Amino acid sequence: MSDKSELSSQSEISELDKSSNTDSNELLPLDHPSVVAAHKRMKRRANRGRRFTYVAAIAIALWIVIPIFFVFSMAFTTEDAVRAYPKGFLPFIPFSTDTMRFFLNFDGVLAGLVNSLLVALITLVLSTIIAVPAGYAISRYVFPGRDFFRISVLAVRAFPVVVLSIPLAVLFIRTGLFDSIWSLSLMHTALVMPTTILVVASVFASVPYELEEAGQVFGATPLQSFRYIVVPLVLPGIAASGLFSFVLSWNEVFAASVLTLDNKTLPALVLTSLSNSPPAFQFAGGFFLMVPSIIFTFFIRKYLFNMWGQVAK
Amino acid sequence: MKSRRRRLIPYFLIAPTLIYLAAFFAYPMFQAFALAIYDDEAALPLLDEPSSQGNEIGRLTQGTRVDIADRQGNQLAESQDQSAELGQEADEAGFSTVDVWFLVEGEGTDGADVTGWMPKSRLRIRDEAPDGTALGGTIRPPVGVGDPFTVIRAQPNEKADEVGTIGQRETVSVIETASVEVWYQVVDAESGTTGWAPSRYVEVFSDEETGRIDGATAGEFTGKYFDRMTDDRKFTSAWQTTLLLMIVILPLQFVLAMAMALVVDARLRFGSGFLYVFALPMGMSDLAVGILFFSIFSGSGLINSFLDTLGLIDSQILFLTSDTRSWIIFAIVLAELWRSTSIVMVILVSGLQAIPRETLEAAELFGASYWQRVRHIVLPLLKPSIQVALILRTILAFQVFAVVIALSGGDVVTVLANEAFRQYRLNNDNVASAYAILILALSIGSAFFYLRAVRHESEVEAV
Repeated sequence: MSDKSELSSQSEISELDKSSNTDSNELLPLDHPSVVAAHKRMKRRANRGRRFTYVAAIAIALWIVIPIFFVFSMAFTTEDAVRAYPKGFLPFIPFSTDTMRFFLNFDGVLAGLVNSLLVALITLVLSTIIAVPAGYAISRYVFPGRDFFRISVLAVRAFPVVVLSIPLAVLFIRTGLFDSIWSLSLMHTALVMPTTILVVASVFASVPYELEEAGQVFGATPLQSFRYIVVPLVLPGIAASGLFSFVLSWNEVFAASVLTLDNKTLPALVLTSLSNSPPAFQFAGGFFLMVPSIIFTFFIRKYLFNMWGQVAK
Repeated sequence: MKSRRRRLIPYFLIAPTLIYLAAFFAYPMFQAFALAIYDDEAALPLLDEPSSQGNEIGRLTQGTRVDIADRQGNQLAESQDQSAELGQEADEAGFSTVDVWFLVEGEGTDGADVTGWMPKSRLRIRDEAPDGTALGGTIRPPVGVGDPFTVIRAQPNEKADEVGTIGQRETVSVIETASVEVWYQVVDAESGTTGWAPSRYVEVFSDEETGRIDGATAGEFTGKYFDRMTDDRKFTSAWQTTLLLMIVILPLQFVLAMAMALVVDARLRFGSGFLYVFALPMGMSDLAVGILFFSIFSGSGLINSFLDTLGLIDSQILFLTSDTRSWIIFAIVLAELWRSTSIVMVILVSGLQAIPRETLEAAELFGASYWQRVRHIVLPLLKPSIQVALILRTILAFQVFAVVIALSGGDVVTVLANEAFRQYRLNNDNVASAYAILILALSIGSAFFYLRAVRHESEVEAV
């Protein structure tokens, strides 16, 4: 209520402002000098605003890109350049794969990379297999308990990983599953599944059911119309959600540190050797941790709002 | 028939999810509570007779010093395997629990054949089956003075009736072997509690008359893990830092996210490029961001390099030492702002896109300036999105972990999640779970707080 009244008073003011030029409330022809002037003024103001927006956009972009670029520079240069002070950026320091090679030869890094890759892939497959039917169910069927299911999935998503990791570690130690890439994948799957379900549901919801029906009208069986009409349409979205699972698992460090000991994933390894490792190790480790997410963000940028907008609701 | 099957389809489709979440979500959740508030080895029940069938007449907590009043064997009801396991367990614990008794047949001192039970310690085994089972042997001579005969009893129990005696060095055949667990009658001198307990839970000292309760089987609800958590010297610092970070980060983050969202929504040229860059940190691991900001703030890092190149400083400024807590916190704030603002931005942009363009255009036509439009139209209409983002960010703020470890080593500045991890590393699973439950309670509490707070506001407005 208050918003509206304030606005109308505001418009009155600007009305007065304009009428001082035109001294009447009648509609003027578009080529009238005062209209042209007002139009120019508005355009100028809009342009000024636009320029300011560009400045803001570039400033924010720099704030995000500079740290990333700095770490990338350090990850692809000589060890001397990494140790040097003051440090420089890539075009000004020698390009070299020394840092990378040092990191990859570091004890346990290759195994950690392989573990991370395996865990992330298992998580991707498991979560997709389990979540796709559930996502399909909540987007295509109306059934008693549907809202409850949706809400519990959302609630699961909000629960802290800390709460799940420690009891699961205790359970895995008791059952002998501790310190294996499988147990960590099971945990990661539980973490990503809620998001995957909601994203998959939104992807299915974006394919109208009428399309499936149309297929059936033209003589396809329900399975056929699903296979040849729905699947091609939802595949990119499901691939995006799979990528999301992969990246989340690749990034996850708390559960990975709690649930593994000898079979550490890369983040767990980097975390434990952070304090007693040379800068080259940290930079290259940071690089490896960031790369999948940068690629991921590139591929899902179209789905960004579909995914997160939907998840946020 | 067909329609009923069709109605069941969605349940088949969600069943795997439900099963999975039950196993890897509901169960650990329950277990976290159990670990935090239940001590499953709190006390040892004492029984009125030396047998697991006895009735409980009292309880003693672990570590209680007791007097050993009596000692008695009691045949294990279970199979040999279990008794072997039991014996092994006892060996690991360092004290004996299992006596072996033999059912023997031989010539008694009265000349007649006698059949009955005798302890293994009195028999020298002469004949064994291939699997090690005793088949026969001779009675050992008694050590020192005393009864020269070995007493044969009706049951494998020192208290059982005597059925006869066998003289030393007599040959007997073993019919059966039984494992007998020793029970102690313990007395707690202080409370006067007395009762029988199996020997594996009682450590007997070398004088054989006193001992200590060394194990427990009865669980009890307990607040001691929460007490240990709150008594920990880092607890206060941990929750204060967590809250401080949240209070500082959230407002800054929402201003920055709003700016980013408005820029994205302004449909600039290269807009999708800007969006990509703005969204970059969203998928990034908190550990990577921790490393990123460590490299910026470290002694020979980006900031020092920059200032040095400009000639503004002579020596490196050390930001991340144990004496510069506030600089570390500042670095954590920046790192968290960098990392987690993108997700807020994305939520806000999807909210912005839902605002009808016509509303904004109408306001513009009526002469509302850009800021007026933002303040009076965009922000009120964004309230649901802001609420969602607030809840999400607050919950995540309680879980800040790797950034803090990367920037402070997890020691100078500590947060709740970090403490949970530290306690877990120290093998204090229960205290770690107490921290986890605290984080959970704070998350749920803050979510409800936001839901209520925002609803109240809208009610006030409606009035």
